[in-house]
Amino acid sequence: MLYNIRHITTYTYNSAVPFARCVLRMFPRIEPGQTVMSSALTITPHATERRDSICFFGNRVASITIEKPHKALTVSVTSLVEVMQPGLLGLDVSQSWEMIRDEAADSVSLEASSPVHFLFQSRLVPIEPTAVAYAMPSFPPGRSVLDGITDLMHRMKADFTYDPKATEVSTPLAQALENRRGVCQDFAHVMISGLRGLGLPAAYVSGYLRTIPPPGKKRLEGADATHAWVSVWCGHGLGWVGLDPTNDIFAENDHIVVARGRDYADVSPLDGVIVGSGGQSIDVKVDVEPLG
Amino acid sequence: MPNSRQLESQRSKSDRRARLLGNYRPLAGVHDELISPDGDIRPQWHALLDEWTNLTPGELTRRTALADRHLSDAGVSYRIRDEVDLDDMLSGERSWPMSHMPLPISEDEWRTIEAGVSQRAGLIEAVLRDIYGPGRLIAEGALPAAAVTGSPDYLRPLHGAAVPGGQHLQMYACDLGRGPDGKWWVLGDRTQAPSGAGYALENRLAMARAFPDLYRALNVERLASFFQGFRAGLVSGARRADPRICLLTPGPLSESYFEQAYLARYLGFLLVEGGDLVMRNNMVHVRTIAGLKRADVIWRRVDGDFTDPLELNASSRLGVAGLLHAIRQENVVVANGPGSGVVESRALMSFLPKLSRKVLGQDLLLPNIATWWCGQPRERKTVMDRIDEMAIASAFRADIRGASDGEPLIMSEQGSEARAEMIAAIQTRGVDYVGQEVVKISTMPVLRADGTLEPRPFALRVYATATPDGWRVMPGGFCRTSDRLDARAVTMREGARSSDVWVLSEKPVEQVTLLPPPDQIQIRRVVGNLPSRVADNLFWLGRYLERAEGVLRLTRTLLGRMIDADIRMPGQQDAVKRLSGMLVAWGAAPGARAPAMRQAFAALHGLDHYGSAAACMREAKRTASVTRERLSVDAWRLIGDLTRNLERETADLPTEGEGYETADRALRALAAFSGLAEENMNRGAGWRFLEIGRRVERAITTCRFARQFGDQSGPAEHLDVLLDLIDSQITYRSRYLVGLAFHPVIDMVLFDEYNPRSVAFQIARLDAEVAALPSVRDDGLMELPRRLSLKLAADVATSRTDQVDRAFILTIEQRLMGLSEAVASRYFLQSGVDAPSPKS
Repeated sequence: MLYNIRHITTYTYNSAVPFARCVLRMFPRIEPGQTVMSSALTITPHATERRDSICFFGNRVASITIEKPHKALTVSVTSLVEVMQPGLLGLDVSQSWEMIRDEAADSVSLEASSPVHFLFQSRLVPIEPTAVAYAMPSFPPGRSVLDGITDLMHRMKADFTYDPKATEVSTPLAQALENRRGVCQDFAHVMISGLRGLGLPAAYVSGYLRTIPPPGKKRLEGADATHAWVSVWCGHGLGWVGLDPTNDIFAENDHIVVARGRDYADVSPLDGVIVGSGGQSIDVKVDVEPLG
Repeated sequence: MPNSRQLESQRSKSDRRARLLGNYRPLAGVHDELISPDGDIRPQWHALLDEWTNLTPGELTRRTALADRHLSDAGVSYRIRDEVDLDDMLSGERSWPMSHMPLPISEDEWRTIEAGVSQRAGLIEAVLRDIYGPGRLIAEGALPAAAVTGSPDYLRPLHGAAVPGGQHLQMYACDLGRGPDGKWWVLGDRTQAPSGAGYALENRLAMARAFPDLYRALNVERLASFFQGFRAGLVSGARRADPRICLLTPGPLSESYFEQAYLARYLGFLLVEGGDLVMRNNMVHVRTIAGLKRADVIWRRVDGDFTDPLELNASSRLGVAGLLHAIRQENVVVANGPGSGVVESRALMSFLPKLSRKVLGQDLLLPNIATWWCGQPRERKTVMDRIDEMAIASAFRADIRGASDGEPLIMSEQGSEARAEMIAAIQTRGVDYVGQEVVKISTMPVLRADGTLEPRPFALRVYATATPDGWRVMPGGFCRTSDRLDARAVTMREGARSSDVWVLSEKPVEQVTLLPPPDQIQIRRVVGNLPSRVADNLFWLGRYLERAEGVLRLTRTLLGRMIDADIRMPGQQDAVKRLSGMLVAWGAAPGARAPAMRQAFAALHGLDHYGSAAACMREAKRTASVTRERLSVDAWRLIGDLTRNLERETADLPTEGEGYETADRALRALAAFSGLAEENMNRGAGWRFLEIGRRVERAITTCRFARQFGDQSGPAEHLDVLLDLIDSQITYRSRYLVGLAFHPVIDMVLFDEYNPRSVAFQIARLDAEVAALPSVRDDGLMELPRRLSLKLAADVATSRTDQVDRAFILTIEQRLMGLSEAVASRYFLQSGVDAPSPKS
């Protein structure tokens, strides 16, 4: 599937910001199953300095400096991306989750795709005993890892309510779990915490969803904003498998990957040092147009 | 035959010895540093105890008090994090407790420690290079990848990055304890930003000062060469020949801020905070009053994850955005490398014996405390099988259930439920846990207040530094004794007290100082450029001190009037009313309805009145404490004493006489500070900002006095008060035989350039100091502060008393404030942009 994606973010400041130095993680990833034909970044006001690089996790990063005083910052990215995921063949060939757990801990690689980076608690994902207890029933002894994670995803869809008013970017996952409410970021963090608590490697993925559903299908939650889901390592054979607990589907050709990391902190679209006082507001517009 | 006097002295010496050692009982099953199992004093103690017992109890008390005074005068303190209150940076500050009995170590034994620590430092450096480099040890299975990635100090963005200077570790430390078999064991490694070396140095100076004879007689090895090597190592890593070295501190709230400030001063490094640094052209610069200056080497005491908000912890305000990229470009040496904390973990320590054989082809000379990482099936089984003999701890530095502060849990002390929970936790996430053997470490004698010794467990931190000639180990260390008798190594906390460590050389030791050979010394009169933040603080230190002085003068004059003058005279009543009105207006005293005595008391001691002398001094002390490395010990002590005196709590209202006395004494202390600043401070930019702050404040204060009491139509008593306030009674009377008159008094207060208290005098000095500040303009034009000060000085110098009225004085006051603001916005840290870009 080919997509034309427009992602426009506008930060408005209450008082002028004289200087900004930030990193942007807004270009779609170049990775197996996903081809980026083009990707263009426009920044207003004009950046004094811009440097593009690839971070440890393989995400594309632009570091920018703005030395001109400004009251608004607009970052606009337009990308043309083709997604062609082979998909799961409907045949569960995965090993038991306990074997996956031991295999992951035994890994002898520090490469970015190695499961060892996604086994431990991270900045925004502590291993919450309640999240682990919630995930546990999906993993009886000997169950295949794919069965286990699918079951956990189904249960989350049934138990949790999508509610943009319930949480903010900084809400700890324990709170979203307790209230059984939140948005894609919360669901992903809750699921990751539960899986890691059982020793299973789980990563955070940020990206986009197609906005207009295929004929006869329901429009997906989170389609008009940036989206987030989970990727679980299912052994050397199967590799990483993407699941979207917000929509209870596997992440395949409707999902466009922007960044992968341990949690939101690794993939946050904009991080940086903005010198200035006073508050700010943010407006995000995303449009993902399927071209066929 | 000894004569009776010698006999007497022998007898009292043996009495003293009996008393010192009388209650000393080593713990069973534990090695004791002082006494061997058969009850003999160990050889390394003989000379020390012999010299020690030569001292009479009175002499000992005097000497230990001298050592303590040295420590408290130098402001040696550490912070207890829980007690730090952000609103009050002075809370939580405690004197560093030092036990006065040093730990002697024989030269032979020290050589073993030295070799072991050097070997370990080299091994850990090699492991770090592999982890951030080719990863061979991991690929070959000698080090599991998860034992690396579990550490929050493993910094992924540095994977494959260059290592400017060639070393991850410039300073390495490990904590040692001596096991029951008499061998030294490594309890833990410190690679992130090892602390304590500065305390070791301070303890040494205090002991060497208090016991110079003992110190010389025992041939104690000196510490200076270690620091010399450390500095040489940092210099050799830099690209420029005469590099600018900064010590990056997390700031005054950090537990070991004193140590950092002390070491910066001792080593001649610039003490900077993250906000002082800025990136331009991928190079690190320090914001100084002379513009941006390149930083070549950063010795960081900020944890690695906090050093760069762009690539690491985005919420950090302690680092500098873009630092990692500058490292990759090899534009700055950061010591220790930001990622070096990864090897501090217990998980990693468990692999060091194996890694030593693989990397060095040798066994470790100093063994670890036995540790098993539960991330591997065989080790996990070992721990499970012997769990009751083990302590379970976090494999990295998280808290584990049932323990806090990353401390281990001794399983034999746990109930069956907690034990079962722990076993289940290890079975699910073994990667998070290690099992450690519970080793009992040795005890050493600690001097009690009653002059006797008692055994206490201790850990010894030993430091190694990478010099151009290889690893050098500090001969001595930072020894921390526990306040508890529990000698199990794993329960050793940060320690309750510290002791100096004396390595006893068999021959007289060479004198080493930090001075390089004479031909390598380049003469310089000014060291580096003053960071803008420091300039800001010194300026405010000057202003607060002078504001305190103004309040004290008002209060003293008020109390003086209440004592001496006939209060029934209308002129006097009015003067008292105006004086107390000023105190109220300055925020130093409660409303005008309160009795004058109550107001004077508040103006002196009232911390709840922001303008009181006590409150101003507290602010002065705060600004002084964050620029402590710039102030002499005497200056710091004066500020401390004065603050304490004004803050002391008195329930009873003092009499007028007592209050007068307090204000007078405080003014004398401030005069002593001025004298110190005048006579003992280098006339560098730091002094200049202190001076500018004082002069601005004094000129403003004097203008305010003049506006209240310098009225042409006012009573003569007002002029009398005015002369009191500016301390010029005697001068006036020697000049004018007639009584008080408006024009001569006002001339003396405002325009007389010979009178060091006049406004004109302050302004002339201000102009001279402002003129001497650096300019960053390249067009040859004057900077704004100078334009303002020069014009003001000229206007005041050419004015006459017949122009003076309240409006005239108010205008001068406002122009002074304008000047103060111009200085602030030009030289102090305002925002990221106003610092001009570097020329090259």
